[in-house]
Amino acid sequence: MIKKFIHQFASPKTYLFQVDRAYPYIFYTSLSIYLVALFWGLFLTSEDFVQGNSYRIIYLHVPASFISQSLYLAMAFASAIFLIWKVKLSAYLVRSIAPIGAITTFIALVSGAIWGIPTWGTWWAWDARIISTLILFIMYLGLISLHDSFTDNEKADKFLAILVIVGSVNIPIIKMSVEWWSTLHQTASITVTEKPAIDPSMLYPLFGSIIGFTGIVVCLVILSSKLQILKREKNKSWVKDYV
Amino acid sequence: MKLLKFELLKLRKKSRGWLGPILVFVLIMTAFPLTVEILNKDIDQSFLSVLWIATLLVMMLATEDIFLEDFNDGTLEQMAIKHNSLSGVITIKIFVYWLLIGLPISLLGALYGFGITSSADLAIQLIPILMITTYIFLNVFSFGNALSLTKGSILGILITMPLVLPLLVVLGKVVIVINLGMNFLGFLFLLLGILSIIILVLPIIISFVIKAHLE
Repeated sequence: MIKKFIHQFASPKTYLFQVDRAYPYIFYTSLSIYLVALFWGLFLTSEDFVQGNSYRIIYLHVPASFISQSLYLAMAFASAIFLIWKVKLSAYLVRSIAPIGAITTFIALVSGAIWGIPTWGTWWAWDARIISTLILFIMYLGLISLHDSFTDNEKADKFLAILVIVGSVNIPIIKMSVEWWSTLHQTASITVTEKPAIDPSMLYPLFGSIIGFTGIVVCLVILSSKLQILKREKNKSWVKDYV
Repeated sequence: MKLLKFELLKLRKKSRGWLGPILVFVLIMTAFPLTVEILNKDIDQSFLSVLWIATLLVMMLATEDIFLEDFNDGTLEQMAIKHNSLSGVITIKIFVYWLLIGLPISLLGALYGFGITSSADLAIQLIPILMITTYIFLNVFSFGNALSLTKGSILGILITMPLVLPLLVVLGKVVIVINLGMNFLGFLFLLLGILSIIILVLPIIISFVIKAHLE
């Protein structure tokens, strides 16, 4: 049954129509969540005792960094599905996530640099977390350039999937870099197992911003994957009807 | 065994393939003290970092056309048909490269270590670390070159450089440990562990990639 469901949903055509229906709901819900969280975080919470107002960039920095790593995991997952079950849709998804991943990683790096100026006194440090995030950014660019260097799309999909899976060894390293090495960057304030090390008044807007930002990025991925599907399936008859 | 001899002979005849990288390594290691015109003590500190980077670069250079010639003249295709495990062939190929390039570089690196820091202990410690590191580098860069087989080696390097980053971090820790005169065996075993996973997994992945190229 599951297999049947997957095969049904995995057809690019069904995906496109389903996604078209869901898109406005996801977009407006997540946008409003993010805006509310931002308003709450920027105007209603008090200043940080040590960092003053500068900490408020957290509502951009943390969601972006979280998403940049999660997107890579999503890519690895989709790549595995593609290699094992030869689901074409997941190959399209891998290719369409890559640029979005690069953008969010870039946002994480830039917002981190801006945050670093008032708090660390420097916008860049050769520290484990920053370097590994930069490496993640370069990896996204490498993935895109690998895929684009092949004219044969099917071959490119296969190589991209293999590289994504092999490259996922770096994700735990990025995640643990703040704990394994002594660095400037602080360790995670919110974990699943422990009580958060951040005050509730800042925690709730932070959660809201993470959820909202994730939703917005999901919308971007949807748009990008739609583009990818239409580009790759342009010879199919249903595409002409759709457009 | 026959295959091993064959690959060995093939690489030995192609002196550009193995002598070139070794000479580049020698040149880098000879030239680097010229660029640091400071006290000997500081050279000791930077020696190891330069050594790792030189090894990395030379291994990139060595694997540049590891599969390309065989792919172009059809040898790789023949091998994929003849031998039922292409990954075995690839393992042997990488081993041969390590034997003719990685091993000499490990010994030379140790020799330079003795020459520059004049500490025999350091030189002896460097040999196993370099032997393992060169083998890992060869495997990883072969993977990159298999991916970008027909697209030039720059792309292969660009996409595999991020993969060796964790290894460079470990090597950085080794520098600290050696400079403090602490026991480095733990790191040696860590490197051995990484190597054993890589030897088992990467040839299979590379053979998969090459089969996709041959399709």
